[in-house]
Amino acid sequence: MTRRLSIAGLMVAMFLGARGPASLARGDGFNDAVRTIEQFYHVKHQNIPFLARAGMKAVGTAARIKGGDYKRLAEAGSVRVVFFEDQNFDSHGQIASFKAALQNTLGAEWSPLVQTLAPRDEEQNYIYVSAAGTKFYVLVVTIERHEATVVQATVAPQVLADLMKDPGEMGKTLREDATINDN
Amino acid sequence: MKTLFQTSWKLAPVLLLMLFGTAVTTRAQGARLQLDQLDALANKASETVDVRLDEHLLQTTAKFFSGKEPGDVDVREVLKGLKGIYVKSFSFEKAGEYSQAEIESVMSQLRGAGWSKIVAIMSRKEGENVEVYLNTAGDLVNGLVVLSIDPKEFTVVNIVGPIDLEKLSKLEGQFGVPELGIEKGKTKKKE
Repeated sequence: MTRRLSIAGLMVAMFLGARGPASLARGDGFNDAVRTIEQFYHVKHQNIPFLARAGMKAVGTAARIKGGDYKRLAEAGSVRVVFFEDQNFDSHGQIASFKAALQNTLGAEWSPLVQTLAPRDEEQNYIYVSAAGTKFYVLVVTIERHEATVVQATVAPQVLADLMKDPGEMGKTLREDATINDN
Repeated sequence: MKTLFQTSWKLAPVLLLMLFGTAVTTRAQGARLQLDQLDALANKASETVDVRLDEHLLQTTAKFFSGKEPGDVDVREVLKGLKGIYVKSFSFEKAGEYSQAEIESVMSQLRGAGWSKIVAIMSRKEGENVEVYLNTAGDLVNGLVVLSIDPKEFTVVNIVGPIDLEKLSKLEGQFGVPELGIEKGKTKKKE
């Protein structure tokens, strides 16, 4: 009986193994994305002392710390933001390599939704989505020549549905909602 | 050893079921083109847009198009049953920055079983060469591909699932599907 169970277990393990480790292990997309940017561009993110579990209030706090004009992220359950400012983001003509590196780091559980690249201006926008129970994690990576932002927000499906109508604007909308305060 | 064979035999139906499931999924995804080989063009293009909306995302969000806004009901009906919307678009500063090999890597897939080109498609955009291909099995449409080929622009739109030109027009300008300017009602299928 034990042997039969072992064989059955082995077969199940082989089946699950064939699906790849990414479907079993859940990584932290936010930190992975930040680390990939730092390694590829040799830059360091600025630490903003918050983890916006309380959502809007914490984003507001971060806004005040940063001294800018910020707006809350409507409908978000949680928001995480990292800024890179006054640094050099030069891909040296290898922008596609960064795209591939980011995808490899995030793994299969993060689905690439929209990616826009403009190598001449070193502009890149990436939006990834991952299931979060009944909601979705949305990861937005925005890179320009001298600055970058990584935002991860939890959004309800109806919010995602609205944003999906115009995927090209989705990243901009989420990034601005997470980092601009209209108070 | 005998136990191993006995157990394997008993597990055979389970394994067959798993294989059958894989085959069904493969067939459903048969209208999905392999487009990752085009990613290298991003280094040469002045602008690249890559949109991937998979079945889970489409079906989870489709029900939230509840009719509050004009066109919501139409969009929900179009999205129903779709298994994916994939768009890759490359713009170049100068003509000739992408090669025939890149186009061929897509065209060769469209010469495969199930694909047929819809001829007499006209684009309202001057000078733009737009080709539309349908993947069918009998009367069932499995998917559609729109190729927009211009000396300075190369766009591939791949919609997987039941779709036709009328439905496609409702998606233009939304969900990453560009404004293709396809004239409807002037189509015939090339065998």
